[in-house]
Order: sequence, then C-alpha cells, then structure tokens
Amino acid sequence: MTMTGSAIERRKFPAPFENYELGDPFDEMFHSSGAPRQHYQEIYDFLLDLPADELKLHKQAADQTFLHQGITFTVYGRDEGTERIIPHDLLPRIITAQEWGKVEAGLEQRIHALNLFLKDIYHEGKILSDGVVPREIIYSCKHFRREMRGVHVPKGNYLTVVGTDLIRLPDGEFVVLEDNLRVPSGVSYMLTSRQVLKRIFPKLYQACGVRPIDHYGQALLATLRNLSPEGRPEPTVVLLSPGVYNSAYFEHSFLARQMGIQLVEGRDLVVHDNIVYMRTTSGLRRVDVIYRRIDDDFIDPLSFRRDSILGVPGLFNAYRTGNVTLANAIGTGVADDKALYAYVPKIIKYYLGQDAILQNVETFLASDPTEQKHILANLDKFVVKAVGESGGYGMLIGPHSTKEQQEEFGKKIIEDPRNYIAQPTISLSTAPCFVEGGNIEPRHIDLRPYILYQGEKSVIVPGGLTRVALRKGSLVVNSSQGGGSKDTWVLN
Amino acid sequence: MFYSIRHVTRFQYSSPVSESVMEVRMRPRSALLQQCLKFELHVTPRARVLFYRDYLGNTVHYFDVPGHHNRLALIAEAVVEVEEPEDIPEAVPMAAWDAIDEMWASGELYEFQMPSHFAQPSAELDKLVQELGVDRRENPLTLLRRLNQQMYSAFEYAPKSTRVDSPIDEALVSRKGVCQDFTHIMIAIVRGLKIPCRYVSGYVYPRAEEENRSTPLATHSWIEAWIPGIGPNHQGLWVGFDPTSNCVCGDRHIRAAIGRDYADVPPTKGVFKGRATSELTVAVRVLPTNAPADDKEELVLVPGSNSGSSPVADQHWEEMQQQQQQQ
Repeated sequence: MTMTGSAIERRKFPAPFENYELGDPFDEMFHSSGAPRQHYQEIYDFLLDLPADELKLHKQAADQTFLHQGITFTVYGRDEGTERIIPHDLLPRIITAQEWGKVEAGLEQRIHALNLFLKDIYHEGKILSDGVVPREIIYSCKHFRREMRGVHVPKGNYLTVVGTDLIRLPDGEFVVLEDNLRVPSGVSYMLTSRQVLKRIFPKLYQACGVRPIDHYGQALLATLRNLSPEGRPEPTVVLLSPGVYNSAYFEHSFLARQMGIQLVEGRDLVVHDNIVYMRTTSGLRRVDVIYRRIDDDFIDPLSFRRDSILGVPGLFNAYRTGNVTLANAIGTGVADDKALYAYVPKIIKYYLGQDAILQNVETFLASDPTEQKHILANLDKFVVKAVGESGGYGMLIGPHSTKEQQEEFGKKIIEDPRNYIAQPTISLSTAPCFVEGGNIEPRHIDLRPYILYQGEKSVIVPGGLTRVALRKGSLVVNSSQGGGSKDTWVLN
Repeated sequence: MFYSIRHVTRFQYSSPVSESVMEVRMRPRSALLQQCLKFELHVTPRARVLFYRDYLGNTVHYFDVPGHHNRLALIAEAVVEVEEPEDIPEAVPMAAWDAIDEMWASGELYEFQMPSHFAQPSAELDKLVQELGVDRRENPLTLLRRLNQQMYSAFEYAPKSTRVDSPIDEALVSRKGVCQDFTHIMIAIVRGLKIPCRYVSGYVYPRAEEENRSTPLATHSWIEAWIPGIGPNHQGLWVGFDPTSNCVCGDRHIRAAIGRDYADVPPTKGVFKGRATSELTVAVRVLPTNAPADDKEELVLVPGSNSGSSPVADQHWEEMQQQQQQQ
C-alpha cells in the first residue's frame, strides 16, 4: 500500500499546509519536490495569505447554502436519519486545459465505441460472431435485455447521459475506472458546488479563468429534444423519477427545474393505444421523450419486473413502436458491466480502428480459471468488485480488509465467479482538502465527467464531479459510502 | 392437416379494476411445417389490439383497457395448416455428439443452452438424472426418445398439483405435475447433457388412438431439442418431444410460441390497477377442419393455471424506490 507507509521524507509546509504529507500517489497541487504546480499557484498564494479563521467561516457559509438548498443524499443501510447533506470540500480541484483536452477526446472516443457496441449486440452481434467479446459475457449479464434485440432506437443513440469515472495513476495519467451507462447521478452536485464556490471565492474564480459549466441543463434538454420521435418537432420532455424515497430525488427535481420540464413518477404516466400520456390538471398530455432515472427492471411491469409499481405498464411497447423515446435506452447496462470493462480497449479498436486514448486499469476476471487463482492468492492486495453493482456496494478493498472479510469474499468468488473482478489497489491521486481542525491535508479523489452523447460528437461540460474520500487514507469516494464532492475547475 | 383453434380466456375481478394492459402469445407460428392461415383476437371490453414480433419470432398481441371493468374476456380464433413431418429416424450416428458439441461451443444457440428461470439445475434434478441413468452413452436421438418415455413413466399427471410459478423441485419431489412441469424438468436435463433445448407453448389435437394425458381443454407445452444431421439438407432439426403425451411431436402439435421456458411465453400476461383478485377461466378447442369453424358453440370454461395478475400492495413502494441504483 502506498498511503503513508512509503511516504518520502516529511517536508515542512507553511500554514495552513503544515500537516500536508506527500506520498507515492500523484498530488494534484504539489510536485513531489513540494513546490506547487503552476496551475495551483494562484490558489496556493491565496490560501497562504488568508487569515487563519477565514476558511472556517467560508466552510460554514458553504454548509449553510447546501443545507438551505436541500442538497442531500440518502445513505442506505443506516439506522439513523437517512437524509444527509452531501459532504463537500471547499477547495476546488484544478485541471489544465491541456489535460482536459486529452480527457475530452478520450471520453468522446470511448463512449462512441460503447454506443456502437450496444447497437451491434442488440442487432447483428458481429463483435460476438467475430469472437472479439465472448458471448457468455453478454448473455449472462443481468443487464442484458433480450427484449431489445432488433428494436430500433432513435438515431441509433442508446446512450444519452453517461458518467465515466477517471482516476489518476501515480505518474499523473488519467485512466478509466468504470463507465456508468444506465442512470449516472451526481451532476447536481457538480452544478451546485460551482454555484456555491463562485459565491464564496468570487475573486479567485475570476483570477483563475475557469471554464463555465452552467449550460449543462440546457445542453441536456437540447440533447433530449433531439431524440424526439419522428413527426414530433415540439416534443414534450419529462423526467421520470422513482419518487421521493430515492437517494437521488434531490437531483431529479433539481434537473427538472433546470430544464423547465415536468418531474413525473410512474403513476403520473399512462399508456393508451401505444401512446404515452402524462396526467395533468387539465387532462392527458402526450409525452415524447422521457429522461428516466428508473432502472430497466422497474420501468414497465408488463415487460420486466411484474411486481414493479414504480413503472408504467405498456411503456416498453410504446417505446418499441417508436412513439416515445427513453434516455438512456433500455439495456445499456450490458456495456458497463465490470467484466465487460476489460474488453473496452478491444471494443474501441474493433469499431473505430483506433487505440484507446484513455487507458483502463488492469483487470482480472474471476470467470477465467487462471485469473481466478491469481485473485484468490492476492485478496489482500486487490480491490474485488461485484460486476453488477454500483455505488461502492459489494466491494472488497484488500489492503484495508480483515482476514475474515477476505475469506468471505474468496467463498463468494468461487461460488459465483462470473460476478467478480479484481483490480490492483490503486492509490488515487490526492488533492488538498480543508479538514476539521482548520488545516489543509491531502485526500484521495477521482473524477466523474458527464458526457452528453450525441453521436460521433458529444457535449462534455468541462470538469465534472470530483469525488473525495473524506476519511484520511480512505480510497472510497462513492457518496453512498460517505464520500464527498469538490468543485472541479478546468482552466481556459 | 388443417385445424381450427378456439381459445377463450376470461378474467373475473372481485371488484372493478382499471388500466388493464395485457400481452397475448397465442398466434400459431408460421414456420417450418406449420402455417397460420387466419388469426383473430377479440377482446371485451373493446380494445384496439396491436402486435409485434419478438426476437424469437413469436407474434405478441397487446392492448389496454383504460376504463373500469369487472371482467376481461379474450377469444382467439386461428386456422392452421400443419404438414406431416418426414419421419424422424429412430437413431442418429454417435458422431452427432461432435456436431452438437460444435454447435454448443459456437454459442449460436446460447439462449437455449443456459439454465433459465424455470429450468434450473438442482439437487433434486440430479437425483432424477441418476435414477434414470441419463448420460451420453447412446446417440442423442435414442437418448432423448428414451428420456421422453422415462419422463412419462416417472411422473403422474395431476392437474392442480403445482402452480404456474412453481419451481421444478416441487414436481420433482412429489413426482406429480402438469405438462409445464414435465417440460421444464426435461429442458433442464437436456441442457445438462449439453444439447440445445427450448420450450414450446401451443396446442395439441388429441387423437383417440394415441396416448394422451393432457386436458384437451387447456394449452399445452413440450420441448424441442436441436439434433444435427437430419431434416432438409441434413442441416439439423429442432425435434419436438412431448413428455406429457409420451410422443415425438408430429402434425397434431401446433406451436404458438417458443422461448427459454414458460416465463418467456405465457399465453397471457397483464397488469391492472385496483385492489382486486382475479379469477381466470380458460377453454381451448382444437378441431380438424377445412375452414374456420363458424359455429358459435359456447365452450365450457375451466379454472385456468396459465396466467393471472394481481396488484402489488403499496407497502413495497418505498423499498422499491430505494432499490433503484443511481450509479
């Protein structure tokens, strides 16, 4: 492990950085020599000059704003009150224009290839008959929707909103940790963090020359409108949410407001003769495009889980006929399966004839007997993940686990190998965070940019959500596991 | 042979319901030796019936009834021509196993190779396999013929001994069941032998001189296994085995839909709004004919087991919202 064990000599930083330690991981702010990186110079100087208590006051002001806006997240599996303010850190994470250029190009390439892949496996399946991706990975994936075979999707765009998680290796290179192709969340934190930070550090924000992200809502709406069924030039777009008990309900209402569209639940929609309508106070109104934040399984009890009362009976048949568009399409989860992840570089090569601009993290599949042996022998070193899960559930972080946990995971892997993959434990890069007690210390972070896929070209607002593992030494950044967020500044 | 099929399904609700949405898989397939010449589906209360073709080539009709109603009735009428198939040989060479293995490895029929919802391996299934001595020592066709006969002898046909959603273990333990149970058990065994195998839902015309256990008043099910080297151009053939009637399927089996198992192809599948229980009755009549039957003879409806719907209680609602993964 790389956290503190092999920390290079302890160097003395001036206040408020006096507890800042540099280790093996890439640090966003400092060179390994301890000198601030050029693009962090502005904020570094600003922090050195700031009176000691000022940061605390800023933090309190920011907390107040988050609280008043109701920017909360629900953590499941806890007995106490489940609504919590999303933990956030005051200090922006900064990315240079040059670094961003590569990330943007890499994401555009990757998501385009994954979209072509989805189209292929739900139609001819050429990549399967060519043996590039094993059939078994597709057909045994619980997110593969055989009902989607042969179904025409508007413009061939299966993907609309994608959140891809990137981390930085110790040498500073951005690599892809996972893709979220079903219902990626968190974009509301990106937008609200920015609103708050602009208010708290107006001068710093101006001085740094930060690229704006405020147009996300309008870009999303334009992307959705563009998917309108044929003959519906002025489409009615709605956001379909599971309801107020869902962890991301805040985000659903936030985005609906940003776009000026109706926020609906399943019971607000009805399908009659293959057309989807919304119940309004003035009667039924036809719906053309649905930005859905409900899982495939639950979206239509007639076609999928029959016991779902969150969905809309008959929706899938209206969709199949082309009378309504769902974004994202049904069945995209087969392409963000963690076992499929290992094949993404090959998928890019297959469809685009290009090498992947953004690399993957090395991945071992438990379904392969040789790799399984390797995983079982190194459970204390690997991160083991259940392939169908998201949000940091069902995960073993080897170096931070007990012998019992490792044994338990070993058993699970042997019982259901298809369901597990392993990756080396990577020490995510660190960035300065304002910690309790008033100091600034390094914490591990990742980056989730949001891609609005529109075909070969995508709209990617500069930056994304930087997630922080707020606990010292922790590598888990998921908000469902107590991680927090940070504003992300991409410079001009 | 020409057949005229009349399939009546009636749902009676304990109190008025609304927004019924239903899918129907009853139209006989037009493929291979079978042609569906006519199909009509009448729905009461009146509804606009639409259809699509699913990825397995089944025709699926669907409709919705928005207003309040106490009952829902479907009458499906079909005229089908079924040609007598070439005689299926008693046996194929042992080398057929190699062709099966090759097909299996290619993954072309992957969907019909994997365990599916109702056709899962289990300890009880292993026991039966042991007991029947099923293994690859014979050629695949002889083996399947023998297995079909053994299935017939090992189980007692007992209507209502299982429910529509019973796992096969229930029938395996009691050695009693209906066609659907026998079909699922046989599929699980055949896939276990690494022979691609699928579920067929349809109708059977009972001939007096032949063995027949299934109620002629209901829909029927059987299996099809993929056997190489036979059929037109020796390209391989899906051969039907009916473990309920102890026969290889010929021109008295009419195929309505194929799937991995029952879960893919229930004759009706629907949901409605309202706090009501539904009672399902069904009648099926298959007659040899030269033209669509035009008599209006009322069929006697019997309690059906093939599909019903009931609303989900509201208390699951909160939990379900939470289960939605937000990535």
